[in-house]
Amino acid sequence: MFLTKEQQKMLDGEHGHAIAKLTHLIVKIGEVNGATRLIPIKNAQIAGVSYLTVGEPIFSFFNMLSEDNVKVSVPSWLNPAGMDMKKWKEMGIKNDFAEKQRRIIQQYQEMGIQTTLTCTPYLIGHKPKFGDHLAWSESSAVSIANAYYGARTNREGGPSSLASAIIGFTADYGLHKKENRVPRIVVDVEATINHFSDFSALGYWYGEKFHGIIPYFKSIKSANIDQVKMLGAAMAASGSVAHFHIAKHTPEAEKVDLSHISETVTFDESDKKQIYNHFNQIKERVNLVVIGCPHSSLEDVKLIDSSLGDKSIKEGIKFWVFSSQKLMQNDEVKKLLTNLEEKGVKIFADTCMVVSPVVRENYKNILTNSAKAAFYLTREGTNKVSLLSLSEIIERVSE
Amino acid sequence: MKTIKVRTIVEGTVEGIALVSPIPISFFGGVDAETGIITDSENPLFGESLTDKIFVFPRSKGSTVGSYVIYGLSVNNVAPLALIADKAETIVIAGAILANIPFVDRTDQDVTISIKTGDKLIVDTTQNIIKIKKE
Repeated sequence: MFLTKEQQKMLDGEHGHAIAKLTHLIVKIGEVNGATRLIPIKNAQIAGVSYLTVGEPIFSFFNMLSEDNVKVSVPSWLNPAGMDMKKWKEMGIKNDFAEKQRRIIQQYQEMGIQTTLTCTPYLIGHKPKFGDHLAWSESSAVSIANAYYGARTNREGGPSSLASAIIGFTADYGLHKKENRVPRIVVDVEATINHFSDFSALGYWYGEKFHGIIPYFKSIKSANIDQVKMLGAAMAASGSVAHFHIAKHTPEAEKVDLSHISETVTFDESDKKQIYNHFNQIKERVNLVVIGCPHSSLEDVKLIDSSLGDKSIKEGIKFWVFSSQKLMQNDEVKKLLTNLEEKGVKIFADTCMVVSPVVRENYKNILTNSAKAAFYLTREGTNKVSLLSLSEIIERVSE
Repeated sequence: MKTIKVRTIVEGTVEGIALVSPIPISFFGGVDAETGIITDSENPLFGESLTDKIFVFPRSKGSTVGSYVIYGLSVNNVAPLALIADKAETIVIAGAILANIPFVDRTDQDVTISIKTGDKLIVDTTQNIIKIKKE
């Protein structure tokens, strides 16, 4: 691999042992994937935050980094943690977990990383620009950055996104290269997709069928950020799809090279129904509703409020919405929250149903409008989940 | 003695006993970073220790924070002597570099078939080869 003088110095240890290791890591990952150079990144989104997903070994790694007092060299944001940093007791998080979680966040913060604790940095002002090279790691954030914003990022791991945030470079391979961003399959969307859960079902269906292959969706009438984030998240969860195009809606779709299309498939009403049926597992009582995978936006919160109207959540059922701390400071959201809390809706920030231990441990029967959440919550076989649209959920759990 | 050609990911020449996982390994949730013991109940090596063995596996799976587990093994002095995979992926590349554990891949044959648990191996990254001395 070709390295600039400055990059070579980093690799040779002139900036310390930790920087040398992290540079080595990025260079090797690049070499194995055929990269011939490193490219600068604009910013990084770093996963590996919840104590549930990183465990004890992260602390040994932090020790190595703090010995050399390393800092990030580009704007960097953290993925959700395992709990709401303020209301963790209310969630049912234990003291020991909370203490470890706080230590993790503090260590990241000391490296200069912003503790946004969200999978949707683009909803709180950190929108990628077309053509920007990034090192993002949460799978839905990666796919939205690529597809909706036309930025370029591979699906990084926690360690590689952190390494890139510190050294400021990533290896030039995969989705950083234009030729690897072309679609291979056309999906003609015949089914009606209105609800967020419909977009989620479409994404789940595609990812399961065509693992890792970039699709080109056509006949989708509306594709705003809230809809696209549901589509992208589900596709990344079921099929590790990190990029996609939607005709007339996403920024690369118009000019993208369609000469590599090998197949056209149709997503019809029966395909949609099949996904809803797959996640229709609750016959008895519902314990918990979870909304906000990916994290909720202002529009999502408004929709919950308007769908609920004058009704309240039934006794004995919990209704949890997940978002970011930053979004909850928005004046409009604040107003809605006071109203929603009175009706039995709880909003937690900094975390979600996938990375917090309490959802899986404490609640058996769960309703959600996100196929990604449904996928992760049912993976271990201990929880039952039904996938429904928000309006169907509200009809079922309110009075 | 049989020789297999490899690609070197992390350098180092070591001699030791092979421990072979026939199925992909998830380091996160599948290996205890404090003891080096395999804790994945679906793996035939369940309960065995990686420590001071040459660990052979087809590829890795699971969470990318598996890299931190590999690093933890070395900090806790329970690391394997070397790692051999059919295919190097980001999780193990990152972990092996952080932990400085010799790591080779892209063999000209399926390593988890040609190497058996208990075989004496020499991993030689100066020549990009593994030598197998059958027991």
